Amino acid sequence: MTEFLTVAVHALDKAGARFGDVRREDRTAFVVRAANEQIQAVNRIRRQGWGVRAFVDGAWGYASGTSQDADDVATAARRAVAIAKADARAGVPKIALRAMPSLRKTIRQKVKVEPSDVSGEEKIAAVMDLCRAQRIESISSTNASYSESDWSFELANTSGARVSWREVRLRIAGQTIAAEGDRREAAYEFRDGTVGWELVKGMDLAEFGGGVAQEACEMLKAEKPPAGLRTVVTDPGVSGLLAHEVMGHASEADEIVKERSFLTHQVGKKVGSPLVTMYDDGTVPGAHGSIPFDAEGTPSHKTKVIDQGIYRGFLHSLETSGALKARPTGNGRAQDFGRRVWVRMTNTFFAAGRQRKDELLEETKDGVLTKSWISGMEDPVGGGFQAVTQSGFLIRKGEVGPRVRGMTLTGNALSILKSVDMVSRELKLDGGTCGKGEEDYVPVSAGGPFMRCKIVVGGG
Amino acid sequence: MDLLDLAPDAVRRARSDGAEAAEAFAISFTTRSIYIEDDVPKVGEDRQEGGLGVRVARGKRVAFASTTLASSEDVRASVASAIDSLGQVPEDPDFSGFPTETAKGEVAGAWDAATASTDVSGLLEAAKAFTDAAKASKSTSVPKAVFRIQDYAIRVANSNDVVASHRGTLVLCYLTAKCGSKGKFGEGILKALNTSIRGIDFPELGRTAARRAAENLKAKTFKGSRAGVAVLDPLDLGEIFLQSVGSSANGENVHKKRSAWVGKIGAEIASVGVTIRDRPRMPRGLASCVADDEGMVTRDRTLVEAGILKGYVADHHHAPLLSTPAGNGFRRAVATVEGSYTRPAETHVSNLVVEPGRKGLDSLLAEVDRGVYVEKFASPEVNEFSGSFALEVRNATLIEKGELTDHVKFGLLTGNFYDGLRKVVGIGKDLVPSHGFLSTPGCAYVPPMAFGGFELVGQK
Repeated sequence: MTEFLTVAVHALDKAGARFGDVRREDRTAFVVRAANEQIQAVNRIRRQGWGVRAFVDGAWGYASGTSQDADDVATAARRAVAIAKADARAGVPKIALRAMPSLRKTIRQKVKVEPSDVSGEEKIAAVMDLCRAQRIESISSTNASYSESDWSFELANTSGARVSWREVRLRIAGQTIAAEGDRREAAYEFRDGTVGWELVKGMDLAEFGGGVAQEACEMLKAEKPPAGLRTVVTDPGVSGLLAHEVMGHASEADEIVKERSFLTHQVGKKVGSPLVTMYDDGTVPGAHGSIPFDAEGTPSHKTKVIDQGIYRGFLHSLETSGALKARPTGNGRAQDFGRRVWVRMTNTFFAAGRQRKDELLEETKDGVLTKSWISGMEDPVGGGFQAVTQSGFLIRKGEVGPRVRGMTLTGNALSILKSVDMVSRELKLDGGTCGKGEEDYVPVSAGGPFMRCKIVVGGG
Repeated sequence: MDLLDLAPDAVRRARSDGAEAAEAFAISFTTRSIYIEDDVPKVGEDRQEGGLGVRVARGKRVAFASTTLASSEDVRASVASAIDSLGQVPEDPDFSGFPTETAKGEVAGAWDAATASTDVSGLLEAAKAFTDAAKASKSTSVPKAVFRIQDYAIRVANSNDVVASHRGTLVLCYLTAKCGSKGKFGEGILKALNTSIRGIDFPELGRTAARRAAENLKAKTFKGSRAGVAVLDPLDLGEIFLQSVGSSANGENVHKKRSAWVGKIGAEIASVGVTIRDRPRMPRGLASCVADDEGMVTRDRTLVEAGILKGYVADHHHAPLLSTPAGNGFRRAVATVEGSYTRPAETHVSNLVVEPGRKGLDSLLAEVDRGVYVEKFASPEVNEFSGSFALEVRNATLIEKGELTDHVKFGLLTGNFYDGLRKVVGIGKDLVPSHGFLSTPGCAYVPPMAFGGFELVGQK
């Protein structure tokens, strides 16, 4: 552990922090984007910096910077303590932190093919291949992107923890826009994870890109989706949005402490059908939201949130575990060295069931099958659900019928989960980034099986 | 050492290291934030960061690298990284060099001295004013709120002897209020943006958030469907404008055939009462500047006049391809300048302004025979390519014969926004600023507007 961090920890102690930590980050990224078979951008990015935080009587003070001078981090530590003391004077309820990490450990994520061992030319060629593969009839715009990130962290705290770790992520994506007259439709598909170049190496980019293009073309012929309460078979992506946006955000214990979650008093109560089991698990190998440690140095964890329809509990940071007298679950995360740590998800998903996807469809007389998600939005207070899909299909008499355009799904989350009557054995996780409110983005994944339930749908 | 001086240093180094042309963007900023949780300040942040983005060119090959700035060594590494990439990237046939024209000076009110000098105690005062006003309403608290100030300075330099400087202040507040008891709560959510902290009426925001929370608590699940006029609050409507108009008027999207308005100059794309301008020279505008993030001189322009599409916006790269003026190359967002040095400038609107009408909100509502007034969506997202949308309403009230009646939730407002622009039936007079995705440059100033052709859909 470097002298730099030790200086900060000593300064925190000396300035009167009840608890404090310092986290230093070194983040590199390589990004390639192409459009219409031309390279648009080749960017190399490096961000280095550190954040110090101090806990005093229930309040936190944060100070961060990019200087490599040990005097500056010591000054920042004192500033963090001063900010925490100023906030504490405003009447923050006092809480005692518990289970502060005191580990001394290093975990270096290993990948099969180090991205740094692959030339820039090869990565650029892959993006161009993906772009070219989308060029078929009716296509007005082809787009492809590749990004790799390699993040290294060092953390030290006043309880003696000295941990360091590495996170590597890759993402490759294609987006096609098809046009016919004035009408334009877009299709988007991606692959990602905490993996190395093996992700791209294992893909058939021609098939992948061709599939995205075909999807966009088919959406030109799609019908307007139905409106109102419908039987919906959610695909794994949309199931994941239900897990993440509604049950996941509302299970973040800082929302529970504030009673800003509709799940505040629900532990031990029925929140879904017996077919519904849900986890947040930061240890899933290769998943986009997996982390060795959270931003507080707590090892990642697998937390059962819902067990066969019964609500089991919350996701915790150090602070919420102190406030609610629970164990930290490794969910204290931060966007970067300059942002606060608070409770965030990792990989959040519903567990697989026992039925085949085809069985769900065959037993649906009149319904909708969703196809790929675009976005979702949380509502921890009201328990509402909004998910936007890329497209979908009508289901008629047990068969998948005409394609419908992108639609939005909404409703009360508990009503939706209690209506779940079939769950498939297929399970998939999709990566992405998650904001809390409208900021503080961290890498996560969400997913689940195909699930049949009742949801209000509508689309333009 | 003034970090901004490293921009011209980087250009000189790039030229001496083998680049035929070079451009550097340096930014230095401080961020101060206060997070309110359960009515009291829980977290205070103080962040200082500097960064550099370097673009180099050799012939038609262009590459970019960026780094956090701590010393001149970072400049050397970043320039070397960008030049190294030049050997890997293919030629960009459309590359036409860097700007040769710039401007000096400032737009009035883009930087506010009083805001720049506001410290954590000043933010605490603002937070208290908001919180006290919200809590004055019965059974109301502030579970979560963020008050943030950024003070930043930019310098752009290139090998054509262009040197442009800009400074600005940004105030971003994300505000919530919660109303209710015994596990039944409603929530009101608001945002406020300004270049000056004195320009924000915090007590009024507190009262508005509290009112929305109380109305959300009272809201009933919407059943059935309702066609008619939809009156939309400017905050969310501004985001919709950025995603639709901001995207379709974007010259890069036009060039890549991603825009819904390709080839539509001179066409009627909105109702006759709709005029939309891009106004980078607007006093106190969040995105206002005399030179853009490429150093190019900016100009106010009319994009839509009386419903007719008049032009697009473009950065220096796309302007000659579309025979349109440059001056819209941006990297910094208006919600935060964090990360702006990690990407090269791209085409974005600056301050997208809808020409206001003469009516107040009450007059707009009074003219509606049957419809809905939506103050807050779960997430105001519109498909930028097709214009279709289905948005969950979080704060919505039905309108009957000019009067607001029942508050409703769990309904979807559905329609097509491009069609809606042709069916505008009323434009209010008060402009409100809003931003798009957090790191996306550009902002919108729009008034409340009334649209025909949308439909509210609920459970049947």
